[in-house]
Formats: sequence, C-alpha cells, structure tokens
Amino acid sequence: MTLTHGCGCAGNPLIPKSCTILKITEETPDVKTFRLRAADGTKPFAPMPGQLAMISLAGVGEAMFSVTAQGDDWIESSIKRVGELTEALHDAGEGDRLGVRGPYGNHFPASSLKGKNLLFVGGGIGIAPVRSLILYALERRADYGDIDVLYGSRSYADLVFKEDLFENWPGALGTHITVDAGESCWQGHVGFVPAYLEEMAFSPENRACILCGPPIMIKFCLAALEKMGFSKENIITTLEMRMKCGIGKCGRCNIGSKYVCLDGPVFTMAELDELPDEK
Amino acid sequence: MDKNTKLIQKTALPDALAALLPDYRVFAPAGENERLAFTRIDAQNAFALCLSGTPLMPPKELLFPRSETLYGTDIKTGDVSLPQTAGPTAVFGVRPCDAHGIANLDCAFLEKGYVDSAYAARREALTLIVLACAQIPYETCFCDSMGGGPAGSEGADVLLTETEDGSALVAAFLTGKGRAVKALWAAAGLLSDTGADATTKSANPAKAPPPCNLRISKDKGLAAKIAAAFDDPMWARFSEACLGCGTCSFVCPTCYCFDLDSENRGGTAEEFRCWDCCMFSDYSRMAGGHNPRPTKKERLRNRYLHKLAYFDERYGRTLCVGCGRCIGKCPAGLDIAAVIEWGGTL
Repeated sequence: MTLTHGCGCAGNPLIPKSCTILKITEETPDVKTFRLRAADGTKPFAPMPGQLAMISLAGVGEAMFSVTAQGDDWIESSIKRVGELTEALHDAGEGDRLGVRGPYGNHFPASSLKGKNLLFVGGGIGIAPVRSLILYALERRADYGDIDVLYGSRSYADLVFKEDLFENWPGALGTHITVDAGESCWQGHVGFVPAYLEEMAFSPENRACILCGPPIMIKFCLAALEKMGFSKENIITTLEMRMKCGIGKCGRCNIGSKYVCLDGPVFTMAELDELPDEK
Repeated sequence: MDKNTKLIQKTALPDALAALLPDYRVFAPAGENERLAFTRIDAQNAFALCLSGTPLMPPKELLFPRSETLYGTDIKTGDVSLPQTAGPTAVFGVRPCDAHGIANLDCAFLEKGYVDSAYAARREALTLIVLACAQIPYETCFCDSMGGGPAGSEGADVLLTETEDGSALVAAFLTGKGRAVKALWAAAGLLSDTGADATTKSANPAKAPPPCNLRISKDKGLAAKIAAAFDDPMWARFSEACLGCGTCSFVCPTCYCFDLDSENRGGTAEEFRCWDCCMFSDYSRMAGGHNPRPTKKERLRNRYLHKLAYFDERYGRTLCVGCGRCIGKCPAGLDIAAVIEWGGTL
C-alpha cells in the first residue's frame, strides 16, 4: 500500500506546502494558536481528529504538532514555546509564510467511539490534541453519549482554550476545570488532575477516556482510572516523540517496532502495554 | 547454455567500465588500502580499479547521500525549488554484503506506507554489478552467518564470480538492468561463452566461495528472544565502553536513520537531509528536554533491537548483513556478532 497525503511537492512527501498564517490567538503566556491556510487559498489538508501536521519555518527547521481544529479552508495548531523553532513561530505574525505537510499518523477511533460516553482528561498543552476529537464529537453531538472534559493546568493563566472552556462548551458538555495552586482570581477547583479525576468518580460503564498530558499526570491518571474500573482498551492516549520525517523512515520516533508518526500517535493503554517501556 | 551467463577476462575490466561510460555515471572501487573507495570512473582513471579489498564506506551513499539538499525555499516568496536528479548510475565491484544491505534499505525507504521519492528515483536509476568475494576481505566478515554469503546474489543485477584459475570472471546477468549491461559488454566484444556445459570437463567453472573468517550461530528465533530481553542487565554491560562516536552507523551498509534540517543561505533556505546516528545523545531528545533514551544503555539497546528485532518484525529481515565493518572500526571494541550470539542463548 502506498500512502498519499494532501501535501507534497513534485510527489515528494518531505516537501511542504506553502501556507499563510491567517490568525494568531494568544491562549496563555507561552501558547499561541495559529490558523493556517495554503498560499493558494485552499485548506492545507483535511485531517481526522488526532492527526499531525509538520510545520516548518524556512531556514529554522520543522516540527510535528497536533491539529487542534479545522474549518472549511484552514487548520489550527496550538503551539507551546519550548525551543528554537517554537520561539521563532511565536515571533511570526499574521500574514507570514510557513510550510505545512501532512496529515500524519493514525487518529482517534471516532467511529468505534460512537454511542459511548466520552471522558476527556487533559493537562496543560495536552488539551490541544484531544480538542480535535471534542470538536468533532460536538459537531456530531447525537452520535455520542455524555461528554465530559476534565482539564487542569498550573494556574488560571495557563489554561489553554479559555473561550471553549468557559463560554462555548458549558451546556453542550460537562466541564471540570482545576488549577494546581489556588489564587485570588480563581473560584473553581484547586488540585492536581489525577486527584480531581478520582474525586469525580466517573462510572466506567460504556465510557471511554481520552487522556493527554505530561507523563507524570498520565501515570497517576492511569492508576486512578484503573481503580475506577476502566479497562485498558477504553483508555486512549496520544503520544509525543521527537519526529523528523513523519513518514516512518528517519528512525527516531520508534517505540519497539512501531513508529509514533505512522502507527501512532494514538494508542490505547492496552496497545502501549505491548510495547517496550520507552515513552 | 544459459545465454545470460558469460565469461569476461580480468584484463578486459577497464574496457568493461569504459563501455558503460556513455550510458551511465560509473563508480568502482579505486585507490589503495585505507583510501580504497567507490570512485567516479572516467576514461582516464578506469585503470585505477582495485578488486582486492572492500572499501571502508559501503556504496550506500550513492542511494542515500551523507548529505543532500531536498529542496530550497525562497524566504521571501515561499517558492520551492528542487535539485536536479542524477541520471543512470552503474556501480561496479559491489560486495554481496553491501548489495544485501541495499535490499534492506529498499524495505525501509520504499515499503510500508510512504515511498521516499528521492531514494526511489536514485534506486530506479542504479545498476548493481556485484563482485563475489574470492578472498574474504576482513577478519570480521560474517555474511554467511546472516543469510547472505561471499557469492550471494541478493540485490545484484550482475553477479561476477572469479574462475578457478583467477584469470577471468563468470558474469551472471540476473535482471533487466543486468541485461542492459550485458548488451553493452557484448557490443564491445568483451564477453565469451563459459563453456560450462561442454561435453569436456568445464574449462572455466566459477570458484566456490571461501567461508567467512568469523562464524557465529544466529538463532532462528533471535528477533523474539532478544526483544523479550528488553530489561536484561547485559545492555548496560554491552554499552559500557561505547563512546557514542557514531562510527558504527557511518560505516554500516544498512543504517538509514537521518536528520532533516534547514540552513539559511542568502535568500534561500536549503532544506537538507543528512545521516544521523541513534547513539547520539540528541537523537531522540525533544524540544522540552525530555529524552526517552537518556543514556547510552537505552540508545545501544534500541540500536541493536532495531537491527535484530524491530526491523525483522516490520519487514521480515535482519538489519545486519554481517559485513563486519562496525566490529573492525569501533574504537571501543563493541561487537554486534557477540550480541547476536548472546541473543540466541536467551
């Protein structure tokens, strides 16, 4: 089987499509959301929820990001400033050019989740990849049962997608927001995500949990979910690894014989248990 | 008589290379001792051909260069420009282990999903003229333990094997690309019949290949056994001496990991690909600082498991062809053959 994808110049999957930054949203002091459209006015590609985009700045480099949202002629990625490329991206302005190739990887099992209750658990920037599925499910609200989002970050200022969390989503789904440490501007729940999760005691009955956040949060959430009776088949996560090519060739994102860019990034906990412990 | 098996005199080899020059970029081993390397041949240096050793660097780089520009991006306009592709290329005197290695590279670059188009274009244009080993080149050669052999034909378009008296080569033209070479050599009057099926005892039979110097036993269940030993304390022992220098990857005919990066040159950003090595500390380190393989123990384990287990799981092949270069050139004495033997005992 030969895979094709939306991008690629001269049939080369490593060559990006030239895109324009339509809009930049400052989510937190170190996270910005970039809305991107191809320079020819079209949508760069149409990813499934959870799929990845390789975003590049000429002369600086490229890196893999999840696509957090999409519209008729754009895709959006939310990018945290952590290194050289993301620093340069944060310095870019609306109208600037960058390169995009993709979509890469597998995606959340949107169809097999139909009819189920969905519990999304996110920490920090880990809300960005799962948001693609939250938005997908909201657009097809009747296809899914209860939807809950349990999300936390270090502080109120660090909560990504505040407009969704406090304006768009309440009413359409259950929102359960927490911050690590109390502060005067915050009236809501205070505490770490795993503890809040345990406190909420969601029933595992016909419910799948979609989990993404820092490794330490994943570890304790997993223990909490298992205690609540969730099976590993019903806990889904999306992994981050260093990636260069996105097409399963360059070598570095492997876990055992699987490549995160090609066979992932989405895995159930049952699938991850089969792989070497090197995440 | 097999019409695709002919005889070519060793003294005619410079003419054989010259006969290819109008149609191909030709590479062949030339230079002495440590300087022996696959060298671009032209009408002037065809006589520098050296068939007695094996170049330290495998011919892998004709398909997968140490560094190559994939495209250029005009920084102002975002316009993309592509480099020119090289035309038909013939490489003469490839050893069977290196041709076997290229068959492994083909899996990595051409199978399981995406086709790497830069590799595919060069592969399509490449003809491999393989020379069976009449003498085993290195003390550390162990190809006949790894599914190949000193006269192995995997990946070969033409296989040349020395005759008993060493004066000529039996040439087997194995593929369409090989038969195109045959046509050029025949037109130049360089081929004669082998006489192998004459009623008299064969005059010029190909000499049976000698056995390798290093004999190891590779267990049939190696991939599963060694993958199951992920937590074995031996990985720390194996990696103790490693300097993380990357020589093993650099000389390997099957290592294919690469890095992609961008370099600003005037108004154009050159996006290039270059060889990388899984033993380098920043190979898997992420921008935030997290490294899933933080020490040489995890990196060496990943290196050997990729070669001996993961690649096998994915493509049904071992990613080591037994050329022995990494054993001979490692400054710290790391030995993949010892790891293969150990894996079989688990």
